[in-house]
Parts: sequence; C-alpha cells; structure tokens
Amino acid sequence: MRGAEADSDAEKKQTYITEFEPGPVPPLKPVDKYGFLKSDQSTTVPAEVSSKCKPRNEREREEKRLRKWRKMIGVGGADWKHYARRKPSVVKRRIRKGIPDCLRGLVWQLISGSRDLLLMHQGVYEQLVLYETSSSELDIIRDISRTFPSHVFFQQRHGPGQRSLYNVLKAYSVYDRAVGYVQGMGFLAGLLLLYMSEEDAFWLLVALLKGAVHAPMEGLYLVGLPLVQQYLHQLDRLVKEQLPKLGTHFEEEMINPSMYASQWFITVFSYSFPFPLALRIWDVFLFEGVKIVFKVGLALLKYCHDDLVKLPFEKLVHALRNFPEDALCPDTLLPMAFSIKVSKRLEELTFEYEQMNNPSQESSTSLKTIRLRGLPKLC
Amino acid sequence: MAYRSDDDYDYLFKVVLIGDSGVGKSNLLSRFTRNEFSLESKSTIGVEFATRSINVDGKTIKAQIWDTAGQERYRAITSAYYRGAVGALLVYDITRHVTFENVERWLKELKDHTDSNIVVMLVGNKSDLRHLRAVSADDSQAFAEREGLYFMETSALESTNVENAFKQILTQIYRVVSKKALDIGEDPAAVPSQGQTINVNSNDVTATKKVGCCSA
Repeated sequence: MRGAEADSDAEKKQTYITEFEPGPVPPLKPVDKYGFLKSDQSTTVPAEVSSKCKPRNEREREEKRLRKWRKMIGVGGADWKHYARRKPSVVKRRIRKGIPDCLRGLVWQLISGSRDLLLMHQGVYEQLVLYETSSSELDIIRDISRTFPSHVFFQQRHGPGQRSLYNVLKAYSVYDRAVGYVQGMGFLAGLLLLYMSEEDAFWLLVALLKGAVHAPMEGLYLVGLPLVQQYLHQLDRLVKEQLPKLGTHFEEEMINPSMYASQWFITVFSYSFPFPLALRIWDVFLFEGVKIVFKVGLALLKYCHDDLVKLPFEKLVHALRNFPEDALCPDTLLPMAFSIKVSKRLEELTFEYEQMNNPSQESSTSLKTIRLRGLPKLC
Repeated sequence: MAYRSDDDYDYLFKVVLIGDSGVGKSNLLSRFTRNEFSLESKSTIGVEFATRSINVDGKTIKAQIWDTAGQERYRAITSAYYRGAVGALLVYDITRHVTFENVERWLKELKDHTDSNIVVMLVGNKSDLRHLRAVSADDSQAFAEREGLYFMETSALESTNVENAFKQILTQIYRVVSKKALDIGEDPAAVPSQGQTINVNSNDVTATKKVGCCSA
C-alpha cells in the first residue's frame, strides 16, 4: 500500500488509469449490516446500541412500512411525483422516520431531482469518464484509499468500489471545473455509491452541488469555501441564540464552530458519524435541504449541553468531535432535531451575512437586483 | 480565562502541522500524542487537534498541536489556525518531490499569517520508504539552512525521529520564549501574544506562560 502510494505521481496516474488491475482481495472480516468492518467503532454503531433504540416488534413494522413505501413510489418510482404533490406532509413524515434501506437508493434519486437530470443528459457521464482528463486526477487518486477505508466496498485496491469512486469524482471535477475536486467530496460520493450506480451517484452529486431542488451546495467547495464560512457564521449565531449558556461558554473558552462543525457541512455528517445516523440525516437532507444539518448540530449540542458547559477548552474540543454513543442514536437525536426551528432565522442570518460581506451592495433580494440578475451581462 | 486546563504545565505552546495533502501530518500527530499509526486513516477535513506535554529543563511544556487539511482549497479555513502559533512543523514526503517543491509556498503562507518569530521545522516524512526516496536529505538540509529552519527526517510508520522532531521544536520555542522573558525582566505581560492579548474571534493559543493573572 505504502509502496505504491509513493510511486512517482506520473507513474501512479498511469497505473491507475490504464491497468485497472485490482489488488488482492482483502481477507474476509466481519462487517456490520452496512458493510463496515466491525472493529472500527468510529463509523459504526454496535448492534446493542441500535437495537436499544428500536422496539421489539420492529420486523413487522418494517414490513408494513415497506409496503406503504412501495405503494407510495410505485414501480421504479412511477407514482412518486404524483404522490409527493398530493400528500407532501405524508411524504415528509415518512422520510423523517427513515427511508427503508432497500428503497433508499431509488428514493434518494427521486427526491433529489437527480433522476430527471440523468434522463435529460443521457451519455454525458460516460463521455466525462472516458474521454475527458482532469487536473485533479492525482489529488483524487491520493484520497481514494482514504475515503471510507473501513468499508468493505472500498477496501480492495483498484477494486470495484475504489474505481467507481475515482470515476465519479473525476467526472465531477471535469463537469464543474470551478469546483474541481475538493477533499470531502469523496465522502459524499462514497456514501451515494453504497446505494446506487456510478452514473446515478454522479447525477445526484450534480443535483446537490448545482441545486436541482434546494440551494446549490457548490459554495462549500469553491475557492475560499464561501458557503462553509457562511454556514459556520450562521451556526455560531444560532448556538448563541438557542443555547445561550453554551454560547457564552464557547466564547469564554474561545471555541468557534470551525473547530468542530466544518465537516458537518462539508460532508453532511458522512465523515465521522455512525453510518446509520448519517443515512437517516441524508434521508431528510435530500428532501428538506441543509437546514437539517443545523438542526442536527444544534440537537447534538443541546443533548450534551449540561456536560459541555462544564468542560475547559481542550476537553471541549475533544467532546465536540467525540459525542457519546447515546447522543448519536438516530431515534433519540432526530426527533430532537426536528423540534428545533431554524428556517426563518437561517434566512435572516443569510441576509445579514450577505450584508456583512458585501456592505456596498443593496439587499440581494431587492427587486432591482433580481431584475439585473435575470438579464445577464447587460451592464 | 481561556485555555485553562486541570493538568499542570509551565508553558503552553501552540504548534501547527502544515504541508501538502498526504504527506503524513495526521499520522505524525497521532504517533506523537497517542503513539498510534494508521495505514487506513481518512484524509483530514478542516482541522484536528491534540495535545501532549513534555519536560524541558525541568519545566513542563504542553504542546497544543493543530493538524490542518493539506489541500490548497482548505487554506480558507486552516489559515485562521496559524494565528498565534509559536511553532510550525512543515511536512513534506521524501518520496514525492513536488511536496518538497511546495515548501516555499507553505513558508510564504506562514509568513503571511504568523509572527515572524515563529520557530519552523522542516520535516521530511516517510523516511522508511528508502528505496523510493525522491528528495535527498542533503538538499533539504541545505534548503533549511538557507531559510533558517530546523530540519529532520521522520517516519511516523516506524516511529523514527517523531519524538525528536517535536521535542526539538518545543525546546527551541521554550528557549526563545524564556530568553524573551529574561530580556524584558520577567514581565509576563510583555511576553508576546500572551493570554490577555488573544484576539477576539481568533483561535490564538500562544506562548502562554502560566504566571500571575494569566495562569489558569
């Protein structure tokens, strides 16, 4: 592993692109139901914890839920749009309870708008993968084995998982050269690849970054990471407003959100959170947008509030990156997150942030600006 | 008062780990602070943080080490962490020449964001990969001398020189700080960037000498 890592860069690129010779299949090790090696506690929740959060008659309930879901989306998702338009609140409620794992990949594509993008751009992905080259290729290769290293799908060097991950990231870096490849995107792509094909994962990434349904996420990865900065600012304010005691404590201890929350936004909780929790967050994230990231973040702080306010700086930084297992149980944390209201305040804070950073500009939502925006390059 | 800690130390130094992506910064940190190394570590997103105390001349020196994401795009976030640093380990990979070429850019980055007195050590990591060496130790040594940097080759994998590198930089910082304190008559308030002068909204942790009002 290390030997190959150290090939000269050019050689490595050559090896990766032309040979496609898979490395040895890693020895079989016990994995959890999601495919993560069991020894890695950081990305998985021990079985006893997940079962603790679920009732006994779970199996029956799951089957009932699955039937409802199948009816709701129809064969291959044919009835989805109709249902979502007619009963949006039912859809929202069901998604918040968690999308059945066997339908997750399909439903994610339906709610993110990526299915439509794929149908509108047939053949584009293949073109990007096969014929285009990207200046980010070496950066991507270097990170491939450092993305979900404890997942069985991504373990084999040049194996199917690593190759798909490489292809999706390379294709995206060509598709959107302004973003290119940024560390962290691999975790998004990797998560998606566990539930769908390369091409589907690519278009879902496009849907997210370009904003097919919700606000575009590309600002998280553009030069200067402008959206990361904005979200961190907003989170800082929300903590101070909603958890004032903790906010003051953070201020006294000089904790700022970039010390613990950058990866919450950049990877939408897929970097270091237990996988079952990350999936449940993604269900809601794809349907409701980025506000769930704020809500989950605030819920975590709220859940651990009484401990956090007692901790000094160093222990605080550690605690904010290592939340206790009970806090990370989806059925505890998510209801708490849903009860936290942030939408209106987030909008106000976005406006405030824009004003702060572009004081010369008038309100970006003013009629004048909207009109100008509608007429590109007129002035 | 920020940065109190229940453990006992005489000095608290903030040190940053910088350098290109994939040179082994996170493993150097985990080797030094936890004696751990992982071949399957994830790439660092944003910043990571760890501490360890060592003894120099009978004084307990606590290092507060910030490990930063190496990709250029991340400097928008990570450069805030340079502020107030009194030491930097600038890491390159001895098997990838380009990571050594980029050292100059990292030095400029430090110059733009830190105090000019910062102690910098150039670290050539992955010295265990002898057969793949692309940067000679002599070249690095000469470069370091020209730029006024300390230099050491390390292997986080084999645990070679990691302890030495951190110890050397912390000792040098200690010498600089204690000399300064001496020069100005042990007036703690005059030690640069002391506790009270921490900038609002920054992450400054600096040569905080644990005396008088500044102690925790």
